[in-house]
Amino acid sequence: MTLQIGIILVVMAVAYALAQWKTLSVEFCLLSSAVAGGLTGAFFNAPPITQLARHLVEGTFTYLDVILVFTTATIFMTIVSESGGVNYVVRGIIKYFYNLRIIVLFLLMFIILIPGALTGAGSVSVLTVGAPVALALGYLGIPKKKVAAILFIVAGLSAAAPPVNIWAMIVSAGTAIPYVGFELPLGIPVLLLGTFTVLLLGWKREKKMSIEDVLKDMPQVPEKMCWWRVLLPFLTFFGLVVAYRIWPFDIPILGLPLEFAIAAVVAFVVSPKKINILVLSRVTVKRLLPLLATMAIVGSLQQVMTATGVRGLLSYAVISIPVVLLFILLVFIIPISEGVLTYGGAAIVGIPLIWFLDSIGLHATVAIAGLSLLWPLGDGLPPTALIGRLSVMVSEYKGSYWSFLKATWLPWIVITLVGILMVIFSARLEFLVKWSM
Amino acid sequence: MSREWILKSIYIVIIMFVIIVSGIQFYNHRHYDVPIPAGPGVTGVVKLSDYNKNLKGTIADTNVFFMEGKEAGGKVLIFANTHSNEPAAILTALIFIENAVVNKGTLIIIPQFNNSGGRNTKPGDGYPLYFEIPTEWGAKKFRMGNRNASPLDQWPDPDVYVHYPDRQLLSYLDVRNTNRTWPGRAKGPLMERVTYAAMELMKREKVDIAVDIHGAETMFPVTNCIVVPEKAMRIATMTSLMVKAMEGFENHVEPSPKGFRGLSHREIGDFSDTMPFLLEAPLPFLDQPTGPKTVDLLLKGKDPFLLSLSKQKKLFVPYDESGWPMEKRVGQHCSVILEILRQFSRRASDRAVAVGNVPRYAEVVKNGVGFYYHDPEKAKKENIYYN
Amino acid sequence: MPIIMIFYYVICVFLAGMLIWNFIREKQNKEDMLLYLIVLIPVVLRIFRIR
Repeated sequence: MTLQIGIILVVMAVAYALAQWKTLSVEFCLLSSAVAGGLTGAFFNAPPITQLARHLVEGTFTYLDVILVFTTATIFMTIVSESGGVNYVVRGIIKYFYNLRIIVLFLLMFIILIPGALTGAGSVSVLTVGAPVALALGYLGIPKKKVAAILFIVAGLSAAAPPVNIWAMIVSAGTAIPYVGFELPLGIPVLLLGTFTVLLLGWKREKKMSIEDVLKDMPQVPEKMCWWRVLLPFLTFFGLVVAYRIWPFDIPILGLPLEFAIAAVVAFVVSPKKINILVLSRVTVKRLLPLLATMAIVGSLQQVMTATGVRGLLSYAVISIPVVLLFILLVFIIPISEGVLTYGGAAIVGIPLIWFLDSIGLHATVAIAGLSLLWPLGDGLPPTALIGRLSVMVSEYKGSYWSFLKATWLPWIVITLVGILMVIFSARLEFLVKWSM
Repeated sequence: MSREWILKSIYIVIIMFVIIVSGIQFYNHRHYDVPIPAGPGVTGVVKLSDYNKNLKGTIADTNVFFMEGKEAGGKVLIFANTHSNEPAAILTALIFIENAVVNKGTLIIIPQFNNSGGRNTKPGDGYPLYFEIPTEWGAKKFRMGNRNASPLDQWPDPDVYVHYPDRQLLSYLDVRNTNRTWPGRAKGPLMERVTYAAMELMKREKVDIAVDIHGAETMFPVTNCIVVPEKAMRIATMTSLMVKAMEGFENHVEPSPKGFRGLSHREIGDFSDTMPFLLEAPLPFLDQPTGPKTVDLLLKGKDPFLLSLSKQKKLFVPYDESGWPMEKRVGQHCSVILEILRQFSRRASDRAVAVGNVPRYAEVVKNGVGFYYHDPEKAKKENIYYN
Repeated sequence: MPIIMIFYYVICVFLAGMLIWNFIREKQNKEDMLLYLIVLIPVVLRIFRIR
């Protein structure tokens, strides 16, 4: 059986490489890999050929809700941006905090951390507040490459931050470990690493401009734009998110896509500028196409990998690695699993890994917290590179993707070290869990 | 037609073909009903919505089989397919429904507890849509379901599920998982209504014992065991000792964690007088490091990767070349349930429950599961129920 | 069907509309044409309550 699965894996890799050689897009490379893997699997009747179309289609449902979140969140933010709201906020931040660099950097870090911490999705952070924060960072004299790097790292940390950490929730649910006691094991490293990142990448002012010049250089905002017009759509969104936390049994479950849609309607209504909502939505969907297609196709790829046994072989390979080597390789395995499978990586690698680490005497909750600092790093790695691509998109960095990724090297290494040390010394850090409860 | 539209038309035809082929398969799977011929012990069949009217007319409503003995006694609720991707549960429940003769007390059986989940598939996990159990009269076909209810029946998910009433934060997916939504609410999300109805059933019918049948990965520490809260610990311990001594299979006892909310073995114990028992049998199909997810793996439980991991001592159950066939899993469930009833009846003679004509472990392993299923073609129409 | 679920079907129909509109307008990029239809697959099957 190993030979059979090995052949399928090789065919999938060759199909990907061939598609890349033909300079097809990442999405087409993934699609080629999924279809080729499925057809080769069908040759071995795993899955049967009559089921292949069903498997490919069923896989596209894996991230349907994420597709809806991306669409509604981006439409919401585009409306806010079109109405002049983004420029208004950035102008305000620059006007009042331009010379208080530490405060402005902290403030911007918290602004990125909050949406991801509340929703568990770093992409939501980038999509909702990424654009104004990127603009503000730009006017602070930080080059776009570093702006994209700050957005990517802090948005990733926001996804790992409590109260909602989807990787930890998936692993907890799969290992029957209660999702409790994560506040300090996640909160402390996220705050420390976030602060380190914004100071490291944002401290140096590479272009110096006077505040008057900056304000003159910034795009003008529509005359009728005022603070409540900007605040109301965001208050609506965060209000709906927070309301469910405060009164979970009294209000119906709205879900993130509808919460963003309601906020988008509010933003549209209070906009001082007339907006053609249909054209704006069409253009937004066009801009989002690579991401939406990646989510749909990665789901198919996952499904084919499972149905053919490739996923099992990879999971088996990870579990079979000797412990010391495993700790070293986790540095690569965890982010790569996220880069290929997004949240699927937590289920495939995370669940058996935690069972194993638990059985050798490590503390499961702290170990999960440590690993979930590494998973968001994978959101910068191809083929999916979800948060990385979004960060580049909203910061309008025009250089190559790899040059952006290179800019993240130091925070990346520090986060990795902290995560791995948390796993290795999880038993000694148990007190963090106790203090959280 | 322009070149652009020729290409677009080709794309449309390909995508339409894929949508139609898969769409027909999804539709047929969701609407396929498994016939259940009621056995001699069945005295009545009601709906779960009889215990919570807010389930009426929804796909989550499901059959509840009553098997009342001639003599009054205690009451036992057995529910299966809380997770419909753990099918040893429904196979065990059907052996009871089709064969059991209740001499004393009452058995209440819900074979498809999460009916929406039983008609759902699991994206990304590559499951087969159906599996068949060979019988003397042909193959009996079952749907392979999902752990969670279908989004067609409960949508959207929250960004995080806040458990009622403890406010513990659970994964957003768990809002559709009927082993996280206990004790439930009458008008809550659909799956909370299901668990609420079951709680009402237990309270109104004064159920003494509830058995929730599951399957779990061989790499999961909580597998091949009986999970119980403090109040059911003695009976579970005696059951575990007895099946080991008399029938030669392991089935250890796991205490229900107090801090993990929403599970049947926790909330039924805390919110009613009923004693809950959650049974786990090893289910290699669910393990992550396995070969292709085929029907063969589901039924035989043989996998070379798991065998290798077993040699590396990374599994929590004994595992050899014979795998974990379905007969073994279903046989274990039958014996453990019968032993729980026996142990309970010894302690509470006025609430005793006596059940006959249900095979034990060795018999199921020897005869196979299908041996105990009856041909629906030969049963009276009024005695056939569909789930 | 609960009102909130109806809103989700409305969101799906809206997204499907945008995808189809973009598909029709796309003249040059052959890859994008197919990608619009691929994203459309789960949306259409959900709208028709098949999966």
